[in-house]
Amino acid sequence: MKFKIRTNLVSGIIMGLFSGFMLIVMPKQVRVPAYDSGAPSPRIIPGICLVVILLCSIILIIQSLVFKKEKYVVFDWENEKPAILLIALMCLYVFLIIKIGFILASAIIFIIVLFYCGERKPFIYIFTIALAVGIYFLFSRVFHVSLPAGPFFGG
Amino acid sequence: MDFAMIAQAAAQTFTLYNIALIFGGLLIGMVIGCIPGLSVTLGIILMLPLTYGMSDPASAIILMLAVYVGGMYGGSISAITLNTPGTNSAIATTFDGYPLARKGKVKKALDVSLFASTFGGLFSALLLLLCAQLITKAVSKFTSVEYFALGIMGISLIAGVSGESLPKALISGMMGLLMACIGMDTVTGVSRYSFGSSILRYGIDILPAMIALIALMQVVDKLREFKLSGGKIKDANKIDHDGMSGKETKRILPACLKSSAIASILGAMPGVGGGVAQFMCYNEVRRSSKHPEEFGKGCLEGIAAAESSNNAVVGSAMIPLLTLGIPGDGVTALLLGAFMLHGITPGPTMFTKQGVMAYTIILGCLVANIFLYPIGKALTRAVAKVIQVRYTYLACAIIMFCFAGAFAASGHYKELILTASILILSYILTLLDIDNTPLLLGMILEPIMEKYFVSASMAYDRDYTIFVRRPISLVILIITVVMVFSMMRVNRRVNRLNAEQEAAMAAEHAQMGGEVDATLAQARVASDPDSSATESYADAVFEKEHIKVPPEKSADND
Repeated sequence: MKFKIRTNLVSGIIMGLFSGFMLIVMPKQVRVPAYDSGAPSPRIIPGICLVVILLCSIILIIQSLVFKKEKYVVFDWENEKPAILLIALMCLYVFLIIKIGFILASAIIFIIVLFYCGERKPFIYIFTIALAVGIYFLFSRVFHVSLPAGPFFGG
Repeated sequence: MDFAMIAQAAAQTFTLYNIALIFGGLLIGMVIGCIPGLSVTLGIILMLPLTYGMSDPASAIILMLAVYVGGMYGGSISAITLNTPGTNSAIATTFDGYPLARKGKVKKALDVSLFASTFGGLFSALLLLLCAQLITKAVSKFTSVEYFALGIMGISLIAGVSGESLPKALISGMMGLLMACIGMDTVTGVSRYSFGSSILRYGIDILPAMIALIALMQVVDKLREFKLSGGKIKDANKIDHDGMSGKETKRILPACLKSSAIASILGAMPGVGGGVAQFMCYNEVRRSSKHPEEFGKGCLEGIAAAESSNNAVVGSAMIPLLTLGIPGDGVTALLLGAFMLHGITPGPTMFTKQGVMAYTIILGCLVANIFLYPIGKALTRAVAKVIQVRYTYLACAIIMFCFAGAFAASGHYKELILTASILILSYILTLLDIDNTPLLLGMILEPIMEKYFVSASMAYDRDYTIFVRRPISLVILIITVVMVFSMMRVNRRVNRLNAEQEAAMAAEHAQMGGEVDATLAQARVASDPDSSATESYADAVFEKEHIKVPPEKSADND
C-alpha cells in the first residue's frame, strides 16, 4: 500500500479543525477567574496561539488549493509498518508498566521487539532482561525513584 | 569581567566531583555521537534524569555540556571510519575524513579531527567567557517587556529556519506554546484545556515531551532502519597507528582559526546550528586555501575546517542562551529546558543574581574542551568499537531508560501516558512534514514568556500596546521580522548549496571508488607477476576493502 499525502492541504485541514474546535471550547475549558487580580486573562496566550494556528492553516490550504504549492510525503506501508508497530508496542509498554510493573513489562515488550527485529540468539534476550532489572535498581537505589514494581514485586 | 566571581566559580568547577562528571560526560557524548542515528540531543536527554538528584544545578549543566562537547567530536569518529556522520554536524567531516581513511590514514584523520574539535571548542568557550559579561551589561536595562519580545524572537527564529514552510513551522511552535499552557495557570489558578482529565490537570512536563519528541522518535526511526535493512552493519575502517605530525599541526592551524571564528559568529546567531556552520566554514576554508583542488580528496584542512566549526558552535551558541535566554538551536533549546528543570532562568539577571553559577557553567564548558583532547587521544580507539555493537542492544536500553526517566519527572504514571501520547503526536507531525523542533522550543519557552508577559501587563495596567510602544521592545520585534525573512532566504540558499556540495562529494567519492575498481581489474588482468604489479594489486585490494558506500543523509535532529 502506497499513497501520497498532500501535506500542506492535510495539515491545513487537520490543524484548522483542531484550532477551531479549541477556540469553540475555550469559554468552557479556560474560565475567567471570579475576581480580578490585575493579571491578564488566562485566555490570552492560548488564544493567540490558536488564532495563529488557524491563520497558518488557512494559508496552507490556500497555498495548496489556489497556488498549487504542495509538499508530498509518500506513505509506504512497508516502510511505515515497523515504525507504527514499534510505537504501538511502546504504548502497550506503558500500559503494561502501569499494570504489571517495569521489569515484567520490559521483559515482555523487548522480547517482542527483539524477535520482531530478527534477533534469534538467546544472549541478547538474557542481556535485555538483565538490563531491565539493572535499570530498575539503578533508579530505585541510586536515584531514589521507585519505578512501578507491579503486583509480583510487591508494588 | 568579574574576576572575583570567576575565582569563586573556578573553585566550584575544579572539584573532584565536577571533573569526574566532565570525564564521564565527554565519554558518553563521544559514544552517543559516534553512533549514526543517535544525536547529541539524545545524549543530553538521557542525562537529564541522572541529574535530578544532583544538589548543585551547575554540576548538572556541566555534565550536559560535556556530553554536548564529546558528542560533537564523537560524530566525526563514524564520519571517518564508517563514512556515515554520527551526528548532523559531522556531514562535512566525511568530505575529507573518508577519503583520507580510504588511504589507510584513519588515525591521522581522527587526530586532525580531535585537534580541530578541541581548538574550535576552546576558541568559542573563551569567546563566551569574554562576551557574556559585555552583552549582559548591554542588556541590563531590559524589563519584562523586552524579555517577552526576546522570547518571541527566539521562537520566531527557530520557526523561520526549521523546515521549508514557515506556516508549518509556526503551527509547530504555537502547538508547543499551547501544550505548555495546558493545566493550571500559575498566576490565576485557572485550569486550561485539561478537559477534566487528571493527567492534564497539572500540565505537561517538559521532560516527557523532550523524551518523546526527540529521543524516542530517533530510536523508532533507527530501529525501523535496522529492521528494513535486515540488521546488517557496515564494516568500519580499522584504525592504524600513524598519527598527526607537528608539521601537519602547524599546517592546519590557520584553517582551525578561520573556521572557529566564522562558526563562533554563526553559532551566536539564534537559529544557526552546527549543521549550517560546518558547510559555510568548509566552503570558506576551501575558497581561501592555496590548494583548493585537494579538498574532498583527504585534505587535512578540510577535516579541520569541518570539525573546528561544529565544536566552536557549542560555546558560541551558549552566548545568546546564557545572556538573553534565547536558545540558538535544538540542543541549546534542550539545555534551556534543563536549566529550567534545575530552577535556573538564563538571561542578564543570571549574571547578577546567579553570577557564580553562570561562570561555573562557562568554566565547565572551557574545561570540558580542554579535557576533550587527552580523553579523545586515549579512548577514540575504544569508542570506535561501539559502532560495531548491534543496534538492538542499544535501542532496548535507550527505550527503557527513556520511559524510566520520564516517570522520574514526577514519579507519577501520567508521565508515561503523556510520553506515549506525545510520541504518537510526533509521528503524525512527521507524516504531515511538520518539524517538531519549534514545538519543543515553544514548550520550553512558554513558561518564561508567559511570566514576562504577565509581569509586563501588570506593570503597565494591561496595556498590551506597551510591547510596541517601548522602543527597545519595538526594535527587537522589528529585527525579529526582518531576521526571520532574511534568514529563511539565506537558509534556503545555504541548504541548496549544501545539498549540491553533498551530492558533488558523494559523486566524487563514488568516482574514486570506481577508479579503484578499475585498478583492481587491471591488476587482476595483469598476467606479469612482477613485483610492481603485485604491489599495485595488494594496494588495490587494501583500498577496495576500505571503500564504503556514499554518505547517507543523516536525518537526526540536532
